Amino acid sequence: MTREEFFLGNGAIALGLVEAGCQVVTSYPGTPSSEILPEVTRLVKSEGLNTYVEWSTNEKVALDTAFAASVSGKRAACCMKQVGLNVAADSLMSAAYLGTIGGLVIISCDDPGPHSSQTEQDTRLMARLAKVPVLDPSNPKEAREMAKLALDISEEFRVPVILRPAIRVCHARQSLSWGPLKTNDQKAVFEKDPARWAATPRFRYILHGELNQKLGKIGQKFEGLSNFNFHDMASAKKYPLGIIAGGVPYAVVRDIFSEEDRKDIPVLKLGTPYPFPERMAQEFMSRCGKVLVIEETDAVIEYFLRDREKVLGRLSGHVPAEGELVPEVVYGLINNVLKELDLEPFPESGDREAVELVKRLELPIRRPTLCPGCPHRAAFFAIRKASPKAIFTSDIGCYTLGLNLGAVDTCLDMGAGITIASGFYQAFCQDGVRKPIVATIGDSTFFHSGTVGLLSAVYNDARFILVILDNHITAMTGMQPTPALGIRADGSKGKAIPLERLVAGCGVDFIEVVDPYDVKEMTALVKKAAGYVEDPDGGIAVIIASHPCIIAYRDEAILERRKVTITEDCVECDFCIDRFECPALYKDEELGRTTINRVLCTECGVCLDVCPKGAIVEA
Amino acid sequence: MKHVNFVLSGLGGQGILFLTKVLAQAALEKGHNVMGAETHGMAQRGGSVVSHLRLGDVESSLVRTGAAHFLLALEENEAYRNIPFLAKGGRIYANASPASFPREEARSYLERGRILCRSVEAGEIATELGGPMSSNLALLGFFSAFEDDPLTHDDLRGTIDRVSPERFRDLNVAAFDAGLKKGMGKG
Ligand code: SF4
Ligand code: SF4
Repeated sequence: MTREEFFLGNGAIALGLVEAGCQVVTSYPGTPSSEILPEVTRLVKSEGLNTYVEWSTNEKVALDTAFAASVSGKRAACCMKQVGLNVAADSLMSAAYLGTIGGLVIISCDDPGPHSSQTEQDTRLMARLAKVPVLDPSNPKEAREMAKLALDISEEFRVPVILRPAIRVCHARQSLSWGPLKTNDQKAVFEKDPARWAATPRFRYILHGELNQKLGKIGQKFEGLSNFNFHDMASAKKYPLGIIAGGVPYAVVRDIFSEEDRKDIPVLKLGTPYPFPERMAQEFMSRCGKVLVIEETDAVIEYFLRDREKVLGRLSGHVPAEGELVPEVVYGLINNVLKELDLEPFPESGDREAVELVKRLELPIRRPTLCPGCPHRAAFFAIRKASPKAIFTSDIGCYTLGLNLGAVDTCLDMGAGITIASGFYQAFCQDGVRKPIVATIGDSTFFHSGTVGLLSAVYNDARFILVILDNHITAMTGMQPTPALGIRADGSKGKAIPLERLVAGCGVDFIEVVDPYDVKEMTALVKKAAGYVEDPDGGIAVIIASHPCIIAYRDEAILERRKVTITEDCVECDFCIDRFECPALYKDEELGRTTINRVLCTECGVCLDVCPKGAIVEA
Repeated sequence: MKHVNFVLSGLGGQGILFLTKVLAQAALEKGHNVMGAETHGMAQRGGSVVSHLRLGDVESSLVRTGAAHFLLALEENEAYRNIPFLAKGGRIYANASPASFPREEARSYLERGRILCRSVEAGEIATELGGPMSSNLALLGFFSAFEDDPLTHDDLRGTIDRVSPERFRDLNVAAFDAGLKKGMGKG
């Protein structure tokens, strides 16, 4: 029976994978990719399939695992965000040479904007670097079809294929109909072939040649893929301007032309940017006076077009070099080109006045903040109190928002809370300066890439306090389990790996666990740790601040509710608002003092330890 | 009207995603093609959150500035912030006090664009019913007191009843009905 469902883009990708008989799906969560694996799991459970799903500890592990499944003949996928592909790059580059047996698709989700990432990097360039084909869907429906295409191409040509949906595909929703799903029952086989699977540099040279040949053939195939590469040019006609677009910008361009009822400008859609369908693009271009390239996030198609005189795009300054190509931006940039070429322009959009109005209204910027009752807030407050002069290195997760509390000074990449701390220590130490440093990292991030940094720091005798903010979940990306929980992606039981043992295994001798809700105890512990760090016989001190995420664990996260109130002793110093920043605390202008928003307050009671005047008390 | 564009705005945690889901599901059940865009990730921790919802034959999930027919805002400032999305003749439904919404400075712009503003204290309605988290549905009820195209209040109520998690169902429907009543001038 087929049914209609309003799928999240990531759900559409999951559907495409399962429909294509993908037997192994691995992932490490990261916005905008996080929902793919849970959606696969949902489909697998509802349809009673036996697809293997796994949250791996990081993206490289996810890719290696999926690669092995492919080598054993099964169709496999691994899913990550674009910066996750940096972590998996080592594996990707080599896997491109070795090739695949069962289809292997790497889904790397881009984040133009960026909305929830540290860069706007373009996965298509990673594909070009690794020399693997890449597909660029414009909407969820196409992403579903391309997931299957990717596996087919991978299997036919024996090369990993990348699917690159951007955030507006991942987090778009679209109605799709779907029907019964079947399991693919390919059994694992491994035929030994060391010249390939364990190739030494001499064989690598040969494999590189094979890869180049595969790319040539795939390029040929892409030329004929009329479902994904097509244009709407009338035959034998010449045009002053044509547009080449791919991915999300293609959908935006289509809507703009249909809304403006314009049929005088042909559009070539390229869903397969690499290997580049050269002939198709060349033919299109030969019949246009100028060609405007609209793609996200970087320039890729634009570089591949040979007739430089004709090309308008990022390199010529006609398309913004950073930021998301939202509809109004695309509208404006096309309109500028129309005017530049003396073609009939679009009506002026008239949004400028509205934008100016909004500016005049001086609306407060709503920066994201830690939730009311978040254990990280308590931990950060205690850290700053105990060690106000320290450098605070931190990492990637909800707790990056410790920024708002002045308890996060750096955030580079996954695991860098520890490695930057170590680097700072050595840089100062060289000058004979002992700088207090407190590093913070989340539990999931610590599993992802914390241990290698910690090992190196211990080995090289760096000195700092490391606070592992253990909220028993991967919160920011939507509540995925961590290895410490011993719960696997499908909800089944796995082996739980306690953080303490892992930290001890890295050679750390000072390990203390504390509940950060007890601000006094945590403050005292940070001070004690500072003593250990400074002691010539000491070392790195690790504090595990353990308290469950209030969103993931709800009632379980607050065992003892403490209703608080603010007395007339409040002197409006704003200390609690600036330094503790609980969203439930706000200034009531009428009352003339700080007050509690009962709707937001979780009654965690942590603020009882915050007010220097003792004005926050139990009600 | 070839298609209908909604922009839904609020702060992370106010239930924008659920509101989007209800509207989308109701539209689907009426046989519309539906495309939507959601905010996930960092902004969900209390930052500005926007959903776009488009009914009809469209390719892209995003509404262009100047093209939204309806703006539903769960917070007053998030209503102002998204004014640029509204088309001429568009309508705003905001969780705000009718006594002070919209602000004086915005009025002449809105009037020139024939943009109609209606507001209701959806937060208070829901809080009175004992579930401040259902403000989103109180606002939706209020909206549907004035707008029955493309979705009627019966369509919306039916969907809320079907898609609400068990423990919030009664409260959600009650909040919707209270908002509806208020909009019809009976609450
Ligand atoms: S989701 Fe959990 S960890 Fe993240 S800010 Fe909220 S309470 Fe803290
Ligand atoms: S008890 Fe205090 S710290 Fe906890 S949520 Fe309420 S106001 Fe915030």
